[in-house]
Amino acid sequence: MGNGTWRIARSRGGAHLPLVIVAALAVALILIGKAQSSLFDRARADIMDWMRPTLVATRAPMEGVGRWLGSIGEIFVVYQENLRLKEENARLRQWHNTALVLDDRIKRYQLLLHAVPDPVLSSIVARVIGRASHPFLQTMILDAGKANGVKPGQAVADQRGMIGRVFLTGQRTSWVILLTDLNSRIPVSVEPNTDQAIMAGDNSPMPVIETLARGVQLKDGDQVVTSGDGDILPPGIPIGVIVTDGSRYRVALFADQTTAQDVQILDFKQKPEHLPTASQNDLPVTAAGLAPAAPAASQGLPPPQLQPVMPKPVFQPSATPQAQSAPSADDSDNDVPNAGDQ
Amino acid sequence: MERMGGVIGGKFFSNTIPVLLSLLGVAITNLPFSILGSWIPSPMYALMPIYFWCLVRPDLMSPGWAFAIGVIHDILSGGPPGIWAASFVATYAVIDRQRDAFAGLSGWGALLGFATAALVACTTQYLIYSLYWWRLMPVSGSIKEFAVTSLLYIPVAFVLAWIHHRFVGPLRSEF
Repeated sequence: MGNGTWRIARSRGGAHLPLVIVAALAVALILIGKAQSSLFDRARADIMDWMRPTLVATRAPMEGVGRWLGSIGEIFVVYQENLRLKEENARLRQWHNTALVLDDRIKRYQLLLHAVPDPVLSSIVARVIGRASHPFLQTMILDAGKANGVKPGQAVADQRGMIGRVFLTGQRTSWVILLTDLNSRIPVSVEPNTDQAIMAGDNSPMPVIETLARGVQLKDGDQVVTSGDGDILPPGIPIGVIVTDGSRYRVALFADQTTAQDVQILDFKQKPEHLPTASQNDLPVTAAGLAPAAPAASQGLPPPQLQPVMPKPVFQPSATPQAQSAPSADDSDNDVPNAGDQ
Repeated sequence: MERMGGVIGGKFFSNTIPVLLSLLGVAITNLPFSILGSWIPSPMYALMPIYFWCLVRPDLMSPGWAFAIGVIHDILSGGPPGIWAASFVATYAVIDRQRDAFAGLSGWGALLGFATAALVACTTQYLIYSLYWWRLMPVSGSIKEFAVTSLLYIPVAFVLAWIHHRFVGPLRSEF
């Protein structure tokens, strides 16, 4: 630290830009960045694509050093940690079985109720090659981009829960704004009452619950998941649990976004609700009790004249063959849930 | 002739060391892990070479380089453009005006000198962010960043001093 131990150069030389001009450039850059952020974002994505191999190459050795340094303290507690993990594993196995049974039951109920199926979720696994942890900024760089199908707005999660969402994509890299970042705002739902709220980051480890409906009381331990409002994020991704902080509610995140190395980028595809393919039996003519049109009708013959159709009596003598095919009132209640609409 | 080429090559190499070390600082700051723990902001490693060589060799660490290093920091960190650049340039301006006072410090005084520079950088960042988003930002993060950067300057300064003596210092034939 002995700055006074050598001679100090007095001159910067004549070829350098004056300080005033450089300061003006910095201010101009801020203003241009504020006015035309997309311009800078494109440049940033291109530069990051170019720098990607360097970041990937430096990641491995530095990660090794980081793990080694992090494991020094763990050596002394490895035995207790092992016992704790065994106990936790046994408990989780029980929960796993319970979850499988419940999952099957939910699927059966959905089938019975003709419920709209859950949206299809596919995912891309990406590695974290950069992470900015600054006082006003919490971002991450992933080694997957447009070429891998990554799009801005997609949710990023690790095996425990959501971490953030993609806000910028290059060809081979993408940027993630973490849930704890000051500018992160996502719609969430708090179980078990599915109270809707906005979760906002404030650069602390636990984001804040904002814009909760008046009078709603949350409890410590209530689970927070994505609500899926606005079709931006898939609903139901686990985020964390509620922790009361004075008069506010915060969310203790499941995912450890500061140590996650491999993450999933969730590709949320809202499945379009296709109508079922019409079969011969579904045609209105058939439903009205008439025979389906002959194939010859489509071969240039004049269209058939519409005849008034007399409504069928609900109850037919059992001897007639038509009556055997007609469902009884009870049957129609059970098998045709939307009969009232017809 | 070969000797002359070697001297020119060596000089070029030594002249780029301050900038290269600053860029290394930018890279380390934005690497995907922190040896200091999860919730302590990354120290401003890039500021250390800027401060050091702005004092002892301002010809190798010009305002333009401080600006360029800041821009690269902005790109890598993913934040709004120009904030790190403005922060480094503001710090450079303070060091430049008070060079004699800073350069005469040694020991804990030198640490205090760097802490002043770090304080300028953190304050500039805080003010710009508050203006940029038009709201008062929480100060706790800036305080942590300032503290951790100032403390880490102690070991880093020894490394920088050694590099300066070993690679940059001996080639200062013009002084």
